[in-house]
Amino acid sequence: MPIGPWRVLGASVQGTSHQQSGQPCQDAHSWRVLPSGILVAAVADGAGSAPLSEIGARTAADAAVQAASLSITALSITALPKFEEQQGKKLLSSALEAARATVEQAAAKENHPVADLASTLILVVAGPDFAAAAQVGDGAAVIEDNQEQILALTKPQRGEFVNETNFLTSAEYLSCAQIIVWQGHPQSLALFSDGLQLLALDMQPYQAHIPFFSPLFRFVKSSTDEAEAQEQLTSFLRSPRITGRADDDLTLLLAACGKLA
Amino acid sequence: MSTKPNLEQSVEFAENPEPRCPCVLLLDTSGSMQGPPVAALNEGLRVFKNDLSKDPVASRRVEVAVVTFDSAVNVVQDFVTADQFQPPSLTAQGVTYMGEAIQKALDMVQARKEQYKASGIAYYRPWVFMITDGEPQGEPEDVVVRAAQRIKNDESLKHVSFFAVGVENANMERLSTIAVKTPLKLAGLNFAELFVWLSASMHAVSKSKVSDQVALPPPGWANV
Repeated sequence: MPIGPWRVLGASVQGTSHQQSGQPCQDAHSWRVLPSGILVAAVADGAGSAPLSEIGARTAADAAVQAASLSITALSITALPKFEEQQGKKLLSSALEAARATVEQAAAKENHPVADLASTLILVVAGPDFAAAAQVGDGAAVIEDNQEQILALTKPQRGEFVNETNFLTSAEYLSCAQIIVWQGHPQSLALFSDGLQLLALDMQPYQAHIPFFSPLFRFVKSSTDEAEAQEQLTSFLRSPRITGRADDDLTLLLAACGKLA
Repeated sequence: MSTKPNLEQSVEFAENPEPRCPCVLLLDTSGSMQGPPVAALNEGLRVFKNDLSKDPVASRRVEVAVVTFDSAVNVVQDFVTADQFQPPSLTAQGVTYMGEAIQKALDMVQARKEQYKASGIAYYRPWVFMITDGEPQGEPEDVVVRAAQRIKNDESLKHVSFFAVGVENANMERLSTIAVKTPLKLAGLNFAELFVWLSASMHAVSKSKVSDQVALPPPGWANV
């Protein structure tokens, strides 16, 4: 397998509660490394309460990556300063709008209201000297810089109850979206759906749980055989240690930049 | 590369408290429940315990409290997680103070939520299961009416999911005037399936936008 500027591993696995109730895996992830070396990645988590949310999640993740990639290519963005804060935010919110429009089209095609395709969406764009994220709903994006500092780029959104969140299909999806442009040198990053939240984040005070991410980032940085690493990531998400704590669908997308560690 | 990092062993988990789902079992132990109905109720408690025990995540997240009502309202068991819950063996006697019992159950879930908030514990919408033969008795009618109004109000604000559950031969018609949700039959209830359904992710509803809510019941729960 050729090693590009980014090595990316991603897995979405069906939750144990979904196995029991016969629901499909309603998580999806998507990513692309552009010829300029910019990484574009997305994770979407379909609402357990919406009947076609697996289609919504798949559509949202693919469409967001597609839209962001097209804009970045069209604007010839390779690094800062072209991706400065204002422009970056605009690009990300346009990608959310494009993803929403594509989900609406998918809903029309299925002859269902758009709410039946409800999903969250986390979109990340990362270059040599920036990382940016747009997020509607729960889950989060976490980043490691070149000083090996690990920090949470975004924060899960939640209603009063732990299973209530915002969706791309809500009327107010744009106003409730978190859009963050971070200047620094990303070495590794992770995107994950809310199933992993309890294990991956410290909630009080809010921060990324370092002993969770350090080994995962070391793993993706040192992975040479993509197929084998992919397999390991999937078995990690299916291991009893995880499923004993988390019965929801689980998605984890990991990326590492630069030369093999 | 020769060293394969063992992900499972090397990754450490954050130690957040489990999110909780408070659940009050509100049980009719009045005289009319004597014989087969109270036997079915005791069996229902064992099924509840067994269903949740089979699900390791649910058994740590669901917190159970038991309140009985006859000529008095008694908290038989304060909130414990389902894995700690020991089903009591109940007997039946006296009249049926259902209205007062409903108020007690709704007070308890409200107080429990306040405790979660104070301790930084995330939580699901609380449940109340009222298992009964469906006949309030011995209370002034307005006590029952006020309790039914409070259920209606708390359901519409999405403070609670209140399920009226009838034992065999229960007066389901009477129950449907008290609870907002269609009353359920105790026989054949699958509580673990219910937890999966009620904990499915849903839209964070602002109080003015109740109609935004989407809900997909599992097969067999269509009329809940």
